[in-house]
Amino acid sequence: MTGRHATIWILCLVMAAAWCAWQIGGGHTRIDADFISLIGQENPGDTDEFNDINAVRHILAQDSRRAIFMVSAPNRDRATNAAADLAGRLSWINGTEKVTTPDDRAGRLPELMAFLQPYAPVLLSPQDRKTLMAGNGEQIYQRTVQNLYSPASTVNARSLQQDPFSLLPQYLGALAGYMGEGGGVVSQNGRYYVPVVTSLDPRLAGSDRDAQWVSDANEVVATLNRNTDINVTRTGQVFFAAAEASHAKADVQRIALLATTGIVFMVGLVFFSWGPLLAALITLASGILAGITAITIIFGTVHAIAMVFGSSLIGIAVDYALHYVSIDPARGSAQQRLRLILPGLTLGLLTSVVGFAALSISPTILLTQIAIYSVAGLIGAYLTVIFLLPFLPVQPVRNYLPIRRSVAILQYAQYRITPPTWGRLSLVVVILAGFGASTFFIKGDDNIRNLGRGNTALIAQTNTIRQILGMGASPMFLRIDGPTAEDRLQTEEALRKRLTPLLANGALDGMVTLADIIPSQKRQTENIDLVKTGLYAPYGQKLAALVPINVTPPSPATTPLLLPDDASLHVLPELANLQSGKSDLVRLRGVQDVAALKTALNGMDNTQLIDPASAISHLFGQYRQWAYLALGVAMFAALLLAIFRYGLRDGICVFGAPAGAVLCALVGSFALGVPHNFFTTMALFLVFAIGADYVLFLAESRHSSHDQDTSLAVLLSLISSVLAFGLLATSSVPLVSEIGIVIAIGLIAAWVLAPVMAGRRSANPVGMENSLPQSTKQSPHTANSAPISKDGENNGQI
Amino acid sequence: MTLARFVRSLLLAGSVICALGAPETALARPGIVALEKNQYLHGDFTLNRHLNGFSDGLKSQGEFVLVPATGLIWQTKTPFPGTTVLGPGGIVNIDANGERSQLGTGAAQFGIFVDLISSVLAGNWSALENRFHVEFSPPGDNTDIWQVKLTPFGESAIGGQITDIVAIGDDFVQQVRLNKPGGDFDDITLSAQQTANLPLPKDKADLLPKADPK
Repeated sequence: MTGRHATIWILCLVMAAAWCAWQIGGGHTRIDADFISLIGQENPGDTDEFNDINAVRHILAQDSRRAIFMVSAPNRDRATNAAADLAGRLSWINGTEKVTTPDDRAGRLPELMAFLQPYAPVLLSPQDRKTLMAGNGEQIYQRTVQNLYSPASTVNARSLQQDPFSLLPQYLGALAGYMGEGGGVVSQNGRYYVPVVTSLDPRLAGSDRDAQWVSDANEVVATLNRNTDINVTRTGQVFFAAAEASHAKADVQRIALLATTGIVFMVGLVFFSWGPLLAALITLASGILAGITAITIIFGTVHAIAMVFGSSLIGIAVDYALHYVSIDPARGSAQQRLRLILPGLTLGLLTSVVGFAALSISPTILLTQIAIYSVAGLIGAYLTVIFLLPFLPVQPVRNYLPIRRSVAILQYAQYRITPPTWGRLSLVVVILAGFGASTFFIKGDDNIRNLGRGNTALIAQTNTIRQILGMGASPMFLRIDGPTAEDRLQTEEALRKRLTPLLANGALDGMVTLADIIPSQKRQTENIDLVKTGLYAPYGQKLAALVPINVTPPSPATTPLLLPDDASLHVLPELANLQSGKSDLVRLRGVQDVAALKTALNGMDNTQLIDPASAISHLFGQYRQWAYLALGVAMFAALLLAIFRYGLRDGICVFGAPAGAVLCALVGSFALGVPHNFFTTMALFLVFAIGADYVLFLAESRHSSHDQDTSLAVLLSLISSVLAFGLLATSSVPLVSEIGIVIAIGLIAAWVLAPVMAGRRSANPVGMENSLPQSTKQSPHTANSAPISKDGENNGQI
Repeated sequence: MTLARFVRSLLLAGSVICALGAPETALARPGIVALEKNQYLHGDFTLNRHLNGFSDGLKSQGEFVLVPATGLIWQTKTPFPGTTVLGPGGIVNIDANGERSQLGTGAAQFGIFVDLISSVLAGNWSALENRFHVEFSPPGDNTDIWQVKLTPFGESAIGGQITDIVAIGDDFVQQVRLNKPGGDFDDITLSAQQTANLPLPKDKADLLPKADPK
């Protein structure tokens, strides 16, 4: 490689860096850290399933924008004043869209009344409807008359003309009941509890700012809690997400610090030079840059999970640099040394690229993004090793270090235990059988509830708020399907009738449907008939005698029907929470008896009970299945490549190393109680890719004089990988810890298997049987510094 | 929730009326009779409800009973008998046949109005001052009549329902006017007011809501 190649590649990297800065820095490509946005980006083909996920996404998006605080104090004034104080402080936090307290002005009410007043004859509360259907219009008339003279009457000049029987306030009263407790003050056990509901800026979700918002909000809460008689509790997805992220971030930072320190120390100790460290950093940076460039060219929005996994996977790229810098400089010029590792490097790249490309066979955007990021990143790192590393200064490994001797001893030990070809083939058969058996014994566990660490304090506060205010934490909901809005509304009316016994016996605390707010046209038509015949006909004239207006019966021909259209949505934006595409959503409060609910729903084909956690778990289960399939494809492709390169028997044996490593990781982690999910499957990918690199490099160097250099590089790679990924196993966050355990087991297994399966019995590279004592006495690099020009030529053919 | 706030606003308005109908502690405002802790207030009322655009209003008469921290009983005698009870549990209408119907179901938040009443009776205006601009005109040299004008804060819940409240009185509140958006207003005249010691007569006590003990 010439300086011109290096210059061109540097220019490419600079342009890529500029592109990335422009795309991401300029906001042209968005880094999306919002977990919710991941859901429903693909069409699984199953319409029902797609609708479920879409509905879950819709619900979660709505809920993620809400944070609920509960202020309590020994007396009402103290509680309401503290709530007002809290609301004021919260409203100043960047990212707060709106804060609602019970004392907030009913600013929307005049607009709401004005909007609904023309529909008064068709909007009956369930109780009024029941009363009229029972022929007891007299009760409503009596109530109307009493209301005319009540000090708390809602009557005004306009309402008297449009709704002389004051039906609308009753309808709105029932509506408030459906909506829950109404967000009012609650008195319990001698204390007063005031809810403060905060709506968050939609742009906050998934951005870095949400953590800042939570931090600011926590500070406000802590300030108020300093008053001994005030207690503020809180709940909301944003708090749980921030708590989980905070734990994960702290763990990862600690581990990253340990890993970086360890790797720097290792490279510094082994090479005693900044050159190898620089080479590793440049290679890694180039890989990340290439990955980001590719992904930002193709996608307008990149998910953070794709970025994180992509970056982790191209951690393999560091191995490329280690293999180059581990070659003793005494073996020739930079180009000659490069040629020594080029076959292994190229084969390793090909295997990894095929493996990661297999991820893109899934219809999921996330896996496709990871695939593209990884493939581009690995190619970028490969090109950096080829074009740039030969121009960096190198130092030979310090021969006085125990690591050299350790490698020699280990190499000899591996040589001694390496079975003959039939033995290695038998091992491959055992590995394949192990995969077969694991499909029966190892079951996936995609429950997303197991991924997080859980925050007991937040969970306790959530339960308290739910018990006292009945707010928050209502994960289950119903999805109502139907070809038209009218069909869905009628289904919801039937649903309420069906679930009324559950509401009465406490199996269900509450529910709200779109039909509770906007009855079906069929019901509205029935209502106006009831009002005409049950109220206006018998009592219209009697009422007219009392009030200074003419009481005229409503005409079905001229009375409009209320529809769930844009006009309604404008006045009642809450309706958006009850609709998702072509489906309506029924929000449930306090599902105490799921079995009873499911039983009650039997036979209602258009009604689906959806548990968001289960739906998301199911989605990740599908991701896992796709990842398994991709892993299988990758392993098969690796097998073909190995057979093509090494022949049938040796190829199968070489394939056995990464396959065995994956199996060990799978079985070992299972034995340790690690649940297998999408994320641990992605960790298996990493094990496979790094394991393939180990065996390919060793296989390529097995007849060469730089064999021990390769063994050293593989050992250094193992140490760096275990430091980088294996330390994740110490994390307190289950997800992070599980990934770490899988990788640690897999990489150690790969390191053990690689030299065995690479067929090292075919040669005795260091002449250990006869010369071990001697070789350990003298400098290995001197001992192995045979002329390499022929090796380079022989092996640089791939 | 909007309705709950609306009802609360109305309750607040009603409570304020009645609160003003109650005597205040002498320390709080000069000229107002203090109501002891174990006392209640009762009297007669006349309510004239004026609807903008109509010459004839709605006139009613009856009796009221105010028990600090417990509730308000508003019993209309003419033109149609009926009772409205405001308390911590919400608003309850009781018709001539004794049939009860509840407005603002089961929400302890309505207790705020009873607390407000108590605050007024105790001479603690802070509860009202949190929600209203309070302009108090004390009695002059030649009269015992004072006046108070309560203007809801623009952002308060009641602001959308009540434009302002003006009350005048001497030892007790005598008249209250509630001005509402749209030009409607209620004129309430209170008379024959007396304080008495608790407990209430049984027929009255049975009407009052029981505070939610949960």
